[in-house]
Amino acid sequence: MTADPGETPAGTGVGTADLTLDAKVATAEVPPELLAQSLGQYMRASWLRVRGGNAGVLPVLLAIAVVAIGFQIANSKFLGAQNLVNLFEQSTIYMLLAIAEIFALLLGEIDLSVGLVMGLSSVVVAELVQPAGANWPWWAAIIAALVASSAFGAIQGTLVARLKMPSFIVTLGGLLILEGVAIIVLGGSLVGIGNGGFINEVYLYNIFWGTFSPVAGWILLVVLVGAAGTGLWLRDARKRHRGLEAAPRSLTAMKIVLMAVAGIAVVAICNVNRAHAGTIEGVPFIIPIVLAVLVASTALLQRTRFGRYVYAIGGNPEAARRAGVRLPVVRTWGFILSGLISGIAGVLFASWQVSLTTNIIKAANSYVLLAVAAAVIGGTSLFGGRGKTIHGVLGGLVIGGIYNGLYLLGVSSQWIDVVVAGVLLAAAVIDVLSRRGAPGRT
Amino acid sequence: MTADHGESPAGTAGAGTADPTLDAKVAEADVPPEILAQSLGQYMRASWLRIRSGNSGVLPVVLAIVIVAIVFEVITPEHAFLRPSNLVYIFGLSTVYMILAIAETVVLLLAEVDLSVGAVALIGGSIAFKLVQQPGPNWPWWAAVLASLACCAGIGALQGALTALLRIPSFVVTLGGFLLFSGILIVILGGADSTVSLNTAVPNQNVIYDMVQGLITPVIGWVILAVVVVAVGASQWRRSTARRRRGLVAPPLGLTAIRIALVAIVGAAVVIICSVNRGSSLKTVEGIPWVIPIVLVVLGAWTLALQRTRFGRYIYAIGGNQEAARRAGVSLPKIRIWAFALCSATAALGGILLGSFFYGEYSTNTADPGQLVLYTVAAAVIGGVSLFGGRGKAIHGVLGGLLIGGIAYGVSLLNLGSLSTPLQYILPGGVLLVAVLIDAQSRRGAGA
Repeated sequence: MTADPGETPAGTGVGTADLTLDAKVATAEVPPELLAQSLGQYMRASWLRVRGGNAGVLPVLLAIAVVAIGFQIANSKFLGAQNLVNLFEQSTIYMLLAIAEIFALLLGEIDLSVGLVMGLSSVVVAELVQPAGANWPWWAAIIAALVASSAFGAIQGTLVARLKMPSFIVTLGGLLILEGVAIIVLGGSLVGIGNGGFINEVYLYNIFWGTFSPVAGWILLVVLVGAAGTGLWLRDARKRHRGLEAAPRSLTAMKIVLMAVAGIAVVAICNVNRAHAGTIEGVPFIIPIVLAVLVASTALLQRTRFGRYVYAIGGNPEAARRAGVRLPVVRTWGFILSGLISGIAGVLFASWQVSLTTNIIKAANSYVLLAVAAAVIGGTSLFGGRGKTIHGVLGGLVIGGIYNGLYLLGVSSQWIDVVVAGVLLAAAVIDVLSRRGAPGRT
Repeated sequence: MTADHGESPAGTAGAGTADPTLDAKVAEADVPPEILAQSLGQYMRASWLRIRSGNSGVLPVVLAIVIVAIVFEVITPEHAFLRPSNLVYIFGLSTVYMILAIAETVVLLLAEVDLSVGAVALIGGSIAFKLVQQPGPNWPWWAAVLASLACCAGIGALQGALTALLRIPSFVVTLGGFLLFSGILIVILGGADSTVSLNTAVPNQNVIYDMVQGLITPVIGWVILAVVVVAVGASQWRRSTARRRRGLVAPPLGLTAIRIALVAIVGAAVVIICSVNRGSSLKTVEGIPWVIPIVLVVLGAWTLALQRTRFGRYIYAIGGNQEAARRAGVSLPKIRIWAFALCSATAALGGILLGSFFYGEYSTNTADPGQLVLYTVAAAVIGGVSLFGGRGKAIHGVLGGLLIGGIAYGVSLLNLGSLSTPLQYILPGGVLLVAVLIDAQSRRGAGA
């Protein structure tokens, strides 16, 4: 299980360096895989990081486990295949909006307009495919909605970044304006995409409600896991080959196996027939869509210069500026991306709701606070520089799970809000306390 | 019009020679002009310099209100905007924003934010309405109001404690509070579709109904106005003469006189407008709605608390520089908890008035708590309160709330059909952005 000593960089002997290594990892916040040489070491280093207040996704994973076990005990349908797919469908919008919000939060800003950017995007896409109206092809309507959302993000970002207006106010004003604009675009009436006779409406409808056939699901899984596994393995191998610090081979293998197991579980669950009558089975399109947004945003934030600049600005804007980062450019792009991802959520929202009314647009606003809640529950800091987009996905899953579970138990919606509030406060308290316990931080 | 030089404090030389340095000093040091000015002319010049240096106080929002009034008067059909009946209605409509914006201002001054004011206000209102129900608790109205304020103060203290003691960001605490109390609100109302309404035939319930809907007869209105003007005038006059006698700096006498005259003129205008018969030929409706003195009392109380008490000074100190305040011996947790508690209690009053404005009915459709809090923050910021603490007054909340209410009602008068609803969102949003843009630019121009 130990790595090949011949390829480890000089200076970190496995046996002797253990204690100092652990201490180093805990204080310096270095990802454990950078210093660990074996799986056991990696585990110990990770545990120290968690104890040091840098718990990452652990608390939210625990929360998901508690939610799952608790509701399963209360109602045995909760973890049934039908309900799990349901639950994911309910969580999708929270997940995407939370990812959008995280782009603003990482910069130390806030975007209160994500809910209504989503609202605008959904109305635009639905109006543009109306056969009696614009009658655009579905893909052109989606592109138009995404362009509109990104453009709105660009305007807000410019006001924040160039004119130094507080993002709280800019996006508060932005959401009020958007609410009006969305209602104007809606034309004061109802717009639907549920007419099966029009091919463009059918395509839009299927974005949320469509599924892969079971066989296609398995093929997709094999392709995805194969590609991701090969990529991961090659990257680590290349690093080792060049004498860089890399994760131990056993860890890489374990990651790939874990990915495959999770994927198989998802596909197996989705392939169960979940219809009361007839057949509904297969992986819903929204799962790969959310996955694609997650992977793309993670890659952007963790592997590009832009991502590093985002974290740098969130951590210390003045230091970033002196290091030569052009703050206005990065900040504006942060808001553009937030708008873009909210726009994607909007396309899904239109497809999910099937028909949109003024009241639904107004209700879109309430998603913003839940999106912030999802991000914070997932482990993203409100003060910038700390968080990943996976936090948004996991936090969104917690909120969706609570809504779904309580609904299943017949609890009325007001109590659901109460429970979500409790989880949010608990997440904040855990965050504050764990940071307090951390050495060298306040 | 110049002040009596014999009574001016030593050290500030005669008005003629010290002018340029004085002006510069005032502009730089953010000192209220009345502290250094010795004559009315000097005071005006000092005020102008303060405005130019980005410290414009209520001036922008007052200008905005004037512009909004003129524009709507011109473009509304039959030039109906400034009719007495509409003005009185606008005040009623704006009341909830005014009161909530005052409450929010207190928290904003600490450089915190309270996202739960909307939900807390609705809880406060529904508690009071529930407690006076006749088949039911049937509490006297004052006890119901007090209980509602106390409950909400408790809610505020709880949120304040989480923020102040555990240092969880107030944004998160009150975001959680918003969700929590939006849920509890529906529980208090008794389900998503229930309505709690006041029976105006029962005198006890009618008192709460009358808080916004009830009227003071014109004669009593004039009497109250006279009492208020005399009281304000006497206290202003006494304070400034007392200060002069003790050799402290005091505003020029001319200024004091102008202030008293201003209060009298504005008051007389309000009473005259409210005394016009705004009913139909069948029924006379005239007089001052109770809500006007109620708002004035809240405004006066918060102005006194913020400007004249130690509590108020500590709030500004914490908002300006919390570390400096802590080292000066201010107990940060105590002040923060009290501020949140009083903010929520004030919000509860706003909620009761909101129900009264909606003809004594409370339901889950009365107002959306999320929308309410967004409008509230917008009102405070448009009024001139800073989001970053330490800058703002209660009057800013009132003026900002009036502007938001005025815009909302003006748009609805325009008969725009389907454009009417969207404009009620777009215009406040636009005004908010312009207000903050001007604020940001003026402060940049000041080099701050």
